Amino acid sequence: MERSDLTARSHKAIRRRTSLVEHLVELYGRRELIFNLVVRELKARYKNSVLGFVWSLLNPLGMMLVFTFVFTVMMPNRQLRNFPIFFLCGFLPWQYFTSGVTSSMFSLINNSNLLKKVYFPREVLPTASVLAALVNFLLALLVLFGALLVTGTRLSPYIWLLPVVILIQTCFVLGVGFFISTLNVFYRDTAMIMDVALQAWFFLTPVFYPIEMLPASHQFLGLTWDIRRLMYILNPMASLTAAYRDLLYWGYRTNMDFFLRTAATSAIVLILGYLFFLRFSRRFGEEL
Amino acid sequence: MRHRNGVQHTGDALIHLDHVSKVFAVRHEAQDSFQSSFIRLFRRENRRAKPLWAIRDVSFEVKRGDCFGVIGPNGSGKSTLLKLITRILEPTEGDIAVRGRIASLLELGAGFHPDLTGRENIYLNGSVYGMTRKQMQQRMHAIIDYAELGDFMDVPIRHYSSGMHVRLGFAVAIHTDPDILLVDEVLAVGDLAFQRKCLDSIQQFRSQGGTLLFVSHDSGTIEALCNRAIWLDHGRIRAEGAPLDVVMSYMNRVSEEAEEKGGSRAMAELEEGRRWGNGRVQVTQVEMVDKSGRSRSAFAGGESLDIRLSYEVMEEIDEPVFGIGIHHQNGVHVCGPNTQFDGLRIPGHRGRGQVVYHIQELPLLEGAYVMSVAAVDAGDGEVYDYHDRAYPLRVLSGRHRERYGIIALGGSWSAVTNEPDDDGPYTDPARLADPEIMSEAR
Repeated sequence: MERSDLTARSHKAIRRRTSLVEHLVELYGRRELIFNLVVRELKARYKNSVLGFVWSLLNPLGMMLVFTFVFTVMMPNRQLRNFPIFFLCGFLPWQYFTSGVTSSMFSLINNSNLLKKVYFPREVLPTASVLAALVNFLLALLVLFGALLVTGTRLSPYIWLLPVVILIQTCFVLGVGFFISTLNVFYRDTAMIMDVALQAWFFLTPVFYPIEMLPASHQFLGLTWDIRRLMYILNPMASLTAAYRDLLYWGYRTNMDFFLRTAATSAIVLILGYLFFLRFSRRFGEEL
Repeated sequence: MRHRNGVQHTGDALIHLDHVSKVFAVRHEAQDSFQSSFIRLFRRENRRAKPLWAIRDVSFEVKRGDCFGVIGPNGSGKSTLLKLITRILEPTEGDIAVRGRIASLLELGAGFHPDLTGRENIYLNGSVYGMTRKQMQQRMHAIIDYAELGDFMDVPIRHYSSGMHVRLGFAVAIHTDPDILLVDEVLAVGDLAFQRKCLDSIQQFRSQGGTLLFVSHDSGTIEALCNRAIWLDHGRIRAEGAPLDVVMSYMNRVSEEAEEKGGSRAMAELEEGRRWGNGRVQVTQVEMVDKSGRSRSAFAGGESLDIRLSYEVMEEIDEPVFGIGIHHQNGVHVCGPNTQFDGLRIPGHRGRGQVVYHIQELPLLEGAYVMSVAAVDAGDGEVYDYHDRAYPLRVLSGRHRERYGIIALGGSWSAVTNEPDDDGPYTDPARLADPEIMSEAR
């Protein structure tokens, strides 16, 4: 409007931000809301279905049967024993990742009527979406364990690390979810882009192939690239898949330094994602 | 620049706004896309949309136990103000401090999930308001009772009628132990009986010392309920203080604006069908004037006012009679004074003139009224000019102690009490306790 108004505004524009800790305390105070939203999401997912929660189990079971058929009858894979198990060890975490990211991406815009009317810490919504995806993942893991039992696969003595790996992945999914859900409020193109990006990401992640398939040295632009190593560095999902496989399929203990690096990456993604979310969540009320 | 909860030392103030402004960037397209942002990188000139100051430098305090009214036309920034107070929006400038839990009755049932049952939604909605499951469990019975849902409690919400939906929303909101209640005047909650119940609850909340923030674009209730009020106009506070004064200046501004917009009450613009007569005498202007000579359309009960009719006699006639009629908005004809009753003789020769009807103390009670004016012949009642219910008159309760109905009789009460004697006239205590009578007597 008038010039004087705009200058007056910029003089006053000194932001005092609520600290991260304050936000976390507030978020913790709303844990019951998160719980209720997770329940709501799970219930809504299986509304009007006869089998309800059983679908969380049937879905991976079906996938496994399909892949067993494909890789034992149609194109037998001789290098990897128990290929369906190998596949599920990568596929279930991947499914957790995509469903967590996708549902948190829509969590804000789908609840815009709530966001525009009542105040509560906004991060509650993507968090609840990711946790609902986690619940489904845990149910699906039951199927995997059943399959491990049937095929007589020996578990790694370090299997107790599994919850830690799941925690690391949850941090990563949350971090990405915070980023993507915020972007989707301001640019609805995000959903379209993520559609393609997730598919590309799927093939770039060693889900249905072992990472050893990738060349350790590749000549490109006159330089030698270690694609395998690059993949681990650039794609946290590759590292996570490898960690799951080490514990569940190979019966191996994951290398500690590798493990810590993955954990650090996830933590950084989570913190940056959360800060990004907090930075822009103050504008959700008017953007939605 | 932000909201603070609970930490602020603002004395007794539950809501404290300190030079708050809110700017919206108005864009032509509501939704941004990467494409347009990308294009804007190269075309810088379009980058900043024109800022819209929805709220401009607003400061006020709402103290515990206040009933605080916000009045203003649509688009004056009332809802933005509410959204700022409820933390949906962040202020662009200034500070907002709110102490205590706010329950807003503007968003009843927000966040209900259609696939969950009523009971599940109560827990969910409660936790949205920040209540724990345990707290909700304690209130569950009261809520179910209040919402009158009975057997529907365990049915998914999507099978509810819209009335049941809001009833449940209201029941939850009122049971979250709010310190502050945000109320919109148009409280559209189900059927009349339930609306009655809601108003009772709000009344009860208030009598228990609860704080109310009341938003409206109309005046009567604000004046009747509130103890403080502001008038919001284009995002700024235009008036602040006692509800009567605030509402009065608002109402008068509204009618002034209407006149500016529609021209003055030019007779030609009187609606077709509202005016008839043979035109031998024409009423050319009608004004309601307060004691300082200002033309207004809103008056407080008990105020003095003059009704001025300017006229022009077009053809020589015998003797005209001028009269006015006041109708209550629901159709009751309240009164009809005219010059003949008062024995005022007005010559009927050509030319202009003015008659004034002076009211020393306006006896009307709070409400909306309309006024008719007429010029007729003194003898045979031939109608020269008749403006049927063409002039709105808004009355605010003002000084009258009386309530209920449309008119203050201005009488006084006295009592003759008997000794508590066996033989004395006996008054049935049950009759005195009848709430209907008590409330009328109050």
